[in-house]
Amino acid sequence: MRNLLSMALTACAATWLLGAPTLADTPVTYTDEGRALFRFDVPDFWTLRTGGPREIEDTDLGDARAVSRVMGIKPVTDDNVWMGFVSPSRVSSIKGGLRYLEDIDKFLVKDPTVTSTSDTRIGGLPAHVVRGTGNRDGRGVNFTATVIDLPRDRVAIGVAILRDGADPSYVDALNAVFVSFRSLQ
Amino acid sequence: MTRKVMKRSVLALGLGAATFTLSACDGVTVGVGYGVGYDPYYDSMLWNDYYHDRDVDVDVDINRPDRPDRPNPPARPKPPIAKPPSRPHPPVARPPAARPPIHRPSPRRR
Repeated sequence: MRNLLSMALTACAATWLLGAPTLADTPVTYTDEGRALFRFDVPDFWTLRTGGPREIEDTDLGDARAVSRVMGIKPVTDDNVWMGFVSPSRVSSIKGGLRYLEDIDKFLVKDPTVTSTSDTRIGGLPAHVVRGTGNRDGRGVNFTATVIDLPRDRVAIGVAILRDGADPSYVDALNAVFVSFRSLQ
Repeated sequence: MTRKVMKRSVLALGLGAATFTLSACDGVTVGVGYGVGYDPYYDSMLWNDYYHDRDVDVDVDINRPDRPDRPNPPARPKPPIAKPPSRPHPPVARPPAARPPIHRPSPRRR
């Protein structure tokens, strides 16, 4: 009888442990008008927020602006880290992507200071990386903006933001996202 | 003894089953406004000036009339030249005048 009890407890414990989610990233595909552009892996215990193409209007000036799908990921329990991807329409080269980046970084980060830029390859595609610092909501942030040249006249723009005081181990998670980046064309 | 162990195992298994039943409720509920709060970076990445034609210089105030000149400020009021009459004061007793003593002993004669 005692054996039975211990076996039952063991079974319970085993179910609990095996019931925990196994460590596997979640692949996500970025599509635009039904066309799959690229994919990346969302790390475990991160949330993904997807948007869609839409127009946003300035309430003061009344001019509508086209916005492509923005996908944002961040850890479920931490607001110090954020990463976003967007593939803006009608932006076809790294140069155009950098101009697009200039037009959004003033909203993303205040007083941005570029510390380094480099040309690299992400997922086998040419990419341009801009690293820098700035501040947001009174706190310093580190940002890494990446323009990845996708085939067929598209680019992917990825922005990773680490606020001051963020757990440094998140850098690995962010790099893992870039490592998992693949073009789907 | 056997009965006691039976009771215990039933309790343990029952608690385990209850835990599963309770945890099954977690995570499948659909809530509104849960988890998505203030997401400044996401909102900022939406906004861009890229498609905004930056080369066109639009003067919004083109039909606005010129601003009128500032009116001259009114002259500062001057203080009155004559002082207003002072209020009547009630009579005040004058202090006693300091007089030399009336009588002074003369120096002693020798």
